[in-house]
Amino acid sequence: MAALSEEVLLVVKRVRQRKQDGTLYLMTERIAWGPEGKDRFTVSHLYADIRCQKISPDGKSKIQLQLVLHTGESTTFHFANESTALKDRDAAKDLLQQLLPKFKKKANKQLEEKNKMLQEDPVLFQLYKDLVVSQVISAEEFWASRLKLSSVEHSLSNNSKQEVGISAAFLADIRPQTDGCNGLKYNLTSDIIESIFKTYPAVKQKYAENVPHNLTEKEFWTRFFQSHYFHRDRINTGQQDIFSECAKQDEKGLKSMVVQGVKNPMVDLLSLEDKTLDEGYGSLTVGPNSSKTVKENSNSAIIKRFNHHSAMVLAAGLRKVDAPSDQASETSSTDGNSRDSDFFQPPIKKVKLQEAIEYEDLQNGSGPKTIALNLKKSDRYSHGPVPLQSHHYSTSQDIINSVNCIQEEISCYKPCLTRVMPSSAASSAITALSPGGLLMQAGTQQAVSQLVPTDVQSELKHLYTAAGELLRHFWSCFPVNTPFLEEKVVKMRSNLERFQSTKLRPFQEKIQREYLSTNVRLLLLVNL
Amino acid sequence: MKLNIEGLLVYFPYDYIYPEQYSYMLELKRTLDAKGHGVLEMPSGTGKTISLLSLIVAYQKAYPLEVTKLIYCSRTVPEIEKVVEELRKLMEFYTKETGEKNNFLALALSSRKNLCIHPEVSSLRFGKEVDGKCHSLTASYIRAQHHSNPSQPVCRFYEEFDAVGRQVPIPSGIYNLDDLKDFGRKKGWCPYYLARYSILHANIVVYSYHYLLDPKIADLVSKELAKKSVVVFDEAHNIDNVCIDSMSVNITRRTLDRCQTNVDTLQNTIQRIKETDAAKLREEYRRLVEGLKEANVARETDIYLSNPVLPDEVLQEAIPGSIRTAEHFVGFLKRFLEYLKARLRIHHVVQESSPQFLKDIYEKVCIDRKPLRFCAERLRSLLRTLEIADIADFSPITLISHFATLVSTYSKGFTIIIEPFEDKTPTIANPVLHFSCMDPSIAIKPVFERFQSVVITSGTLSPLDIYPRILDFRPVTMASFTMTLARTCLCPLIVGRGNDQVAMSSKFETREDFAVIRNYGNLLLEMSAIVPDGIVAFFTSYVYMENIVASWYEQGILENIQRNKLIFIETPDAAETSMALEKYQEACENGRGAILLSVARGKVSEGIDFVHHFGRAVIMFGVPYVYTQSRILKARLEYLRDQFQIRENDFLTFDAMRHAAQCVGRAIRGKTDYGLMIFADKRYARADKRGKLPRWIQEHISDGSLNLTIDETVQLSKHFLRQMAQPFRREDQLGLSLLTLEQLQSEEMLEKISQIAQQA
Repeated sequence: MAALSEEVLLVVKRVRQRKQDGTLYLMTERIAWGPEGKDRFTVSHLYADIRCQKISPDGKSKIQLQLVLHTGESTTFHFANESTALKDRDAAKDLLQQLLPKFKKKANKQLEEKNKMLQEDPVLFQLYKDLVVSQVISAEEFWASRLKLSSVEHSLSNNSKQEVGISAAFLADIRPQTDGCNGLKYNLTSDIIESIFKTYPAVKQKYAENVPHNLTEKEFWTRFFQSHYFHRDRINTGQQDIFSECAKQDEKGLKSMVVQGVKNPMVDLLSLEDKTLDEGYGSLTVGPNSSKTVKENSNSAIIKRFNHHSAMVLAAGLRKVDAPSDQASETSSTDGNSRDSDFFQPPIKKVKLQEAIEYEDLQNGSGPKTIALNLKKSDRYSHGPVPLQSHHYSTSQDIINSVNCIQEEISCYKPCLTRVMPSSAASSAITALSPGGLLMQAGTQQAVSQLVPTDVQSELKHLYTAAGELLRHFWSCFPVNTPFLEEKVVKMRSNLERFQSTKLRPFQEKIQREYLSTNVRLLLLVNL
Repeated sequence: MKLNIEGLLVYFPYDYIYPEQYSYMLELKRTLDAKGHGVLEMPSGTGKTISLLSLIVAYQKAYPLEVTKLIYCSRTVPEIEKVVEELRKLMEFYTKETGEKNNFLALALSSRKNLCIHPEVSSLRFGKEVDGKCHSLTASYIRAQHHSNPSQPVCRFYEEFDAVGRQVPIPSGIYNLDDLKDFGRKKGWCPYYLARYSILHANIVVYSYHYLLDPKIADLVSKELAKKSVVVFDEAHNIDNVCIDSMSVNITRRTLDRCQTNVDTLQNTIQRIKETDAAKLREEYRRLVEGLKEANVARETDIYLSNPVLPDEVLQEAIPGSIRTAEHFVGFLKRFLEYLKARLRIHHVVQESSPQFLKDIYEKVCIDRKPLRFCAERLRSLLRTLEIADIADFSPITLISHFATLVSTYSKGFTIIIEPFEDKTPTIANPVLHFSCMDPSIAIKPVFERFQSVVITSGTLSPLDIYPRILDFRPVTMASFTMTLARTCLCPLIVGRGNDQVAMSSKFETREDFAVIRNYGNLLLEMSAIVPDGIVAFFTSYVYMENIVASWYEQGILENIQRNKLIFIETPDAAETSMALEKYQEACENGRGAILLSVARGKVSEGIDFVHHFGRAVIMFGVPYVYTQSRILKARLEYLRDQFQIRENDFLTFDAMRHAAQCVGRAIRGKTDYGLMIFADKRYARADKRGKLPRWIQEHISDGSLNLTIDETVQLSKHFLRQMAQPFRREDQLGLSLLTLEQLQSEEMLEKISQIAQQA
């Protein structure tokens, strides 16, 4: 394990676990502990698996750190180095505090996504119940193929649900109210907090740094509203608050945005003028106006703030939809820093120029612009969904051949009119054969749906989908070209067998018992 | 389609034509036939450029001896590139129709910054740096040094061009800036010098105003352009200011301080050269004695800074003896500098004319008029002799020398104003000497005299008759065209009152009034709720906008607006504003909608179009009068009154209204486009203001939309927007505002078209 080149972030010696002395390692991905004198870890947890950490209270004689995992298990480390135990523990705690949220998000995200999928799709949920809860296959196996599928789907349909943007006026919604005794009350909702975080990542960072240990949440927001950062028209009077850094960061962000320049050359005011007058020429002196009053300064601060705010709101909305398909974003990846992009600029410039000189009504037949169809699998598109047949796929060539065959046959077909039944006989035969007719009355061909109670039907449906899912897993292993897949095939086979024995058999027997008369067809279905 | 414009076959690269385009071409042809000048106003978005190009190219093809060249001047780089692209379209149409290969050469010319392909030089950010660096690699003495000492860096692109580029003319075709760069890269030639060389034999040249109007540049670039050229000034509504700017000079104390350093450097260099290479100075002296100013065939790369005065004013005689030797000249400069410094040490405002200034300088420091006139010329010669590579460092001293030459050359049309401090901050000494040109006709006169046809055109030139007066020329045609519309796609509304009946106006007495500011805010708020996508609002000045934004912020109006749309605001910083603009467009594009607060006369109002959803409404807060307390403006107004009999108020209103029209015109860029134009000031309702708006806006202002309240405005706007949102098809336009060839040829239609142009 240690052979993997992991960066070790922190090493704490003399840490006891289960009454054994050892060393605690904090690495980039996991936390591990190995007993003294041995070169392997007996305890190793991925950060993603850890739900939270707990520490022993300050007064306690034993200085401990407990990790609680998502599974509910917990591991306790006892810091035993007398002189530095407290320091060691705090160091470990602080580092974990920084690391855990990162991984938590990842883990949570996946969980959330799975949860959402299950909730949105009842069929999937049933399938999950049938296969995972009844332990036919493990949850991991179940999701392994699902998630991939879903991510493809997501990128294709660009997410079924759109991300809700941020209202530009979210700060305005926090109207302060006087509480009657010389104070102000701000109403914050989680939506607003989220908006603030999304729009101002710097505040979020401050929040993450400070909130649980330095400040309570309430204190944090109180300070936020007191800060000049919130009241941007107040010029920073120099008092140190935790948000002065945020303001600086914002300014930096704004500057970097400005330095980056604009992609659309038609709005680049810097290169608008062809030949600017040299300094000193011209009738108006637009010299640097150094003597600005405080009032003016604060005014321009407001203006800056609004520009920044709007840009951030816009960016927060766009961050989610990372792949809008207009060419502007395509080129954005290619042009790096502003000046080197000279070579990449022409295409977008050309497009913009062409747009600018176009008169749509003067031209003939410039039909509405169409969006190119983007197909992942073009033959699927042209053939439509084909029923999943495990044994035989008809290729398009086959289909064409067979169509040709049929065409030929049809062209050869000569109706023998002499041997046709008289029409009256034919129609009576048809009525007799149709449901409710003479011949069909007693037959077993009455719609299955009428004969079988609905619960059995739905059970059948579930079994059918479950079997389909299992078979999909099974067939997805082919062609078997890696040992891993081979192993999986074997496993899936056993899964299938188990499914047969635990689910299908009882169902079959049950049906046989109850519906002897109709079971022929059903069995046929069940046995596939 | 192929048109017959009074017997001239014109290829028009579209299947349909607007009636006003046809009418425009008729007028244009008459101008060319008469070999005279013209003033033509046609609404933006009606295909002015393509009409111009189609007709003039056809004219050139039909009468190659009458019109040899088209010089198309536009204002901004994107405009220039747009023109070239339209031209490309036209030429492709020619090739398609006639089947023969096109033998036209058309190219765009821009500054080195936009054309340089030298890896180091082109990476510099500012135009001035690029120019300076270029000079330090291509000056003739640098190249001479390179011969003896190959380690001296030169520009390989220029060397290559100089070696072979001149013999082989550039193949015919259409060259935009990027095409020139591509061509230059392919051949290894300098695109800038290639373009400058090629404009001499090109059929069509597209460049910026400055190359014709600024004598400092025109002398270098456009000196040898043929007389039989047609010159077009597009977007010319501001041409008088360009003329004035190119001849005005401002000198601050900082300029003088830097000048002092320049003079010291010059002195040291002269001293050094005297010790090492005295022959060089003697050679220069000899040359000056003989009056061979440019005898050693000035190489194109050397003439970096040219004479600031117009070519016909440059004295064709030897430089006077008193400043012939280098030391004497430096001494002369020193004296001049000291004099200027003394003049800036004042405590009250001084205004005087050029002759007064010359008299004073003669009395105080005994400087004659004659040597002053040669100052620029002499300095240039000296800088070349001293082989100073980094010319950009010497811009202050050059500025001073230009001032000297200008002030001694022109006795009329200029004024000198020395202000000891800024009006706003009377306690802080910041003396400035303004040498201000008041007569735009001075700079443009040579253009009118030299070229056979000069066409001034724009979307907003009303009132038409004022341009010939202030530019002092006699046009053969003057016409204003309306926009034929199948549906009224523009909706000018004049809002005069708030819902509380308080008059809205940006006039000085009431502009800080709380009620006015609040009403302005309410107007924007209400509009933000009903107008889809983008709204652009213009304020009369930057300071005013700052104040209003601040008080809107305090009153919570901005927050309420934010509920409807994102807000972006223009700032004095161009880069910041560009970013805001781009974000604004992004917000309009993705459906959020946005508001751009901007300033009339600012860069946005002059150079950026808000087509379709980028600008569904334009709100003009107040009448954008120029700052009337400025002494320069007062002097100019006086001059206009005395010389051209233009009343002060007429000019001020004209100036304000052309800017207002420019601002609101930004939103309409075609007949399929639509937009509200909201004039938020009750003064717009007056006849003298309204009458100065372009005809194509004026005719849509009904009496019912003159003094509206905010509520009424909202109602009218809602109605208008709902109507405009209906599908608009070609069939709706056809026969009315869009014509096929057959429709165009009908008698009835020709009758109608003749009414489109209104002769002024």
